[in-house]
Formats: sequence, C-alpha cells, structure tokens
Amino acid sequence: MDEREIIEGCLGGKAASNRAMVETYGTLVLSVALNVIGNRQDAEDVCQETFLQVFRRLDRYDRERSFKTWLLTIAYRRSLDMLRKKRRFAEFSVRARFEPAVLGRPGDIDPADPAPLPSKLLEALSPRERTALCLWANEGYTAKDISEVLACSASTARVYLFNARRKIKALLENDHGLLQNG
Amino acid sequence: MDFCKTVERLYAALPLRPFRDWLIRIHMDRCPRCQERLLSREEARSLLVRPGQTGDGAALWRRISEEAGRLVPAPKAKGSGGRLAWQWAAASAMAAVIALTGFWLLRQTGGPGFDARAITPADRFEIAYVKVGGAPAQTFVYQPQGTDTVFVWAQKTP
Repeated sequence: MDEREIIEGCLGGKAASNRAMVETYGTLVLSVALNVIGNRQDAEDVCQETFLQVFRRLDRYDRERSFKTWLLTIAYRRSLDMLRKKRRFAEFSVRARFEPAVLGRPGDIDPADPAPLPSKLLEALSPRERTALCLWANEGYTAKDISEVLACSASTARVYLFNARRKIKALLENDHGLLQNG
Repeated sequence: MDFCKTVERLYAALPLRPFRDWLIRIHMDRCPRCQERLLSREEARSLLVRPGQTGDGAALWRRISEEAGRLVPAPKAKGSGGRLAWQWAAASAMAAVIALTGFWLLRQTGGPGFDARAITPADRFEIAYVKVGGAPAQTFVYQPQGTDTVFVWAQKTP
C-alpha cells in the first residue's frame, strides 16, 4: 500500500489503512518523540496521541505538502505538550511540598525494557534543538524542512541545528578530555 | 584561523538569529576548521534513537488499535459555506447564553440582599473513575489546608 492509498483508506475509516499507517510511520514517530522527550513510556503515549490526532484530522492535511513532515509536526507538538505537562506537575509538586509516588524522570525505564534511549548528553539541548538535530541526523532534513516542523523560519532552524551540533560536540570533547586525564 | 575566532566572537556577542544565520551561511558552513568543531551526522546518529531501534510498527498498532477503533472516520471536506454558517450560529448562541448568564449573575450578586456566606461549598470532592490512554489511571487528589482548591493529577498506572 503506498502513501496515497493509505491516506485515502484512513479517510474512509478503513481499519486496515489505519494499521498500515501506524506500521509504516510508527517507528519514525516513536523515535522522534523518544529523542525529544527522553522517556520511553511518555514517548509511546505521544506516539499514540499523534496517530489518533492524525486519524481525526486527516481531512485537514494539505496534499501539496509532505505527509511525513505534517505527521512529524504533530508528533513534535504533542511531545512539547508532554514536556510542558511534566514540567507543570513537577512545579506543582514542589509548591505543594509533596513527593509524588510515581513521577517519571527522563531516562527512567523498566530495567527489563531493552529499548534504547537517546544519550544523556542530549539533555543539554532545548526540545527545539533536540528535534532539529534528530530530523537532520536521522531523516536527512534540511534547515527548511526542519523549519516546517518547528513552525519557524529556516534561519531560526539553522541556528537551532548549529547550536545543537556545537554544544554536543563540545560536551563530547570535554568527556574525552576527562577520560584521557583520568 | 583568526578570522574563525572573530566570527565565533561575533556569533557569541550578538544573539540575533538572522545575524547568526548569516554568519553560519557565509562562514561556518564552508570553513573546514569550523566544521570540525561541529557534531557530524554519524556522531549525532550514534547518540540518537533511530527509527529501526524502536521495535516494530505492529507492536505500536496493538497499542493504538483499540482507541483507533472508537474513532469516527474523518469527514471528507465539504462545501465550507454551510459549515461556516453553522459555526457562526453556534458562536452567536453561545455568546448570547454567556451574556445572559453574566447579566443574571450580576443582578444576583450585586443586589443588596446578597450574602456570600449563603453559598455553601461542595461537601466532598469525588472522582468515580479516571482512565488514561484507555486504561484505569493512578489518581492523586491534593487539597491544601484551609482552602477550597482541589488539585487532581491522573497518570497511567505503571
């Protein structure tokens, strides 16, 4: 089933097309969410919400644009929503002076879960910088493509990407230097 | 070498994105020395999770299918005229209801016989059932002492 057939099928409410959509793009959406959020469980929730939103709003998709970019835009916005939600709850728990029984932190996973997580070094980046880096490295996106996902200008996207690449390189070099110095 | 340092200083000194973008395009993207100080695509890939590492799409579909099955198919695009008229009508009706309610409340509370103490708060806050992502969720209810504010946090059961 090609992309056009999948979209037509989803618009017609066919379960087989919905399934094909998730099977085709699911790992892509999950990898972006995982790289932006850094937590497997939250990334899976974001992935689920992204596809449900896609199924609901597929009629608004502009066929002139790239479907993958439209899908990743939704995944990125959902990931930002998730990060905001977690930050709000963390702030609330501090104000209310209680420690929640279960409060997910980036990197917390079930030890039995073999799925990989992005490097802790990426925590030094803002969500926009992480997204720009992820789309550039994994998907080969240019600054213009990234700008469509981040809803900003190509110049801004280029600066995000440049800063991300420079910060992580500096951190890697520092780590390497520390290892060499003992 | 000196030129690279000058460009870096300018980049750090002026945090204006269009200016930084200009510096990147005219120098940093083309200069081999500046490129050496940037993460390469391969290095970035080794730090990121790639689509092939996240498992298969079939497992994701098992998770999503239940919720997706409840969705009504997305409607095909219709003529926008009728829909717009309905949206206007609904918005106007809503505005009228809000205005009338506000007017009524203003009259009730602004009158000379109004006594705020006569309004009693709800005795007890209860949540019958909370689901997150289609599954029963953990729910935390917190009420700061001496206030009527109730905070509710629901999250997936681990």
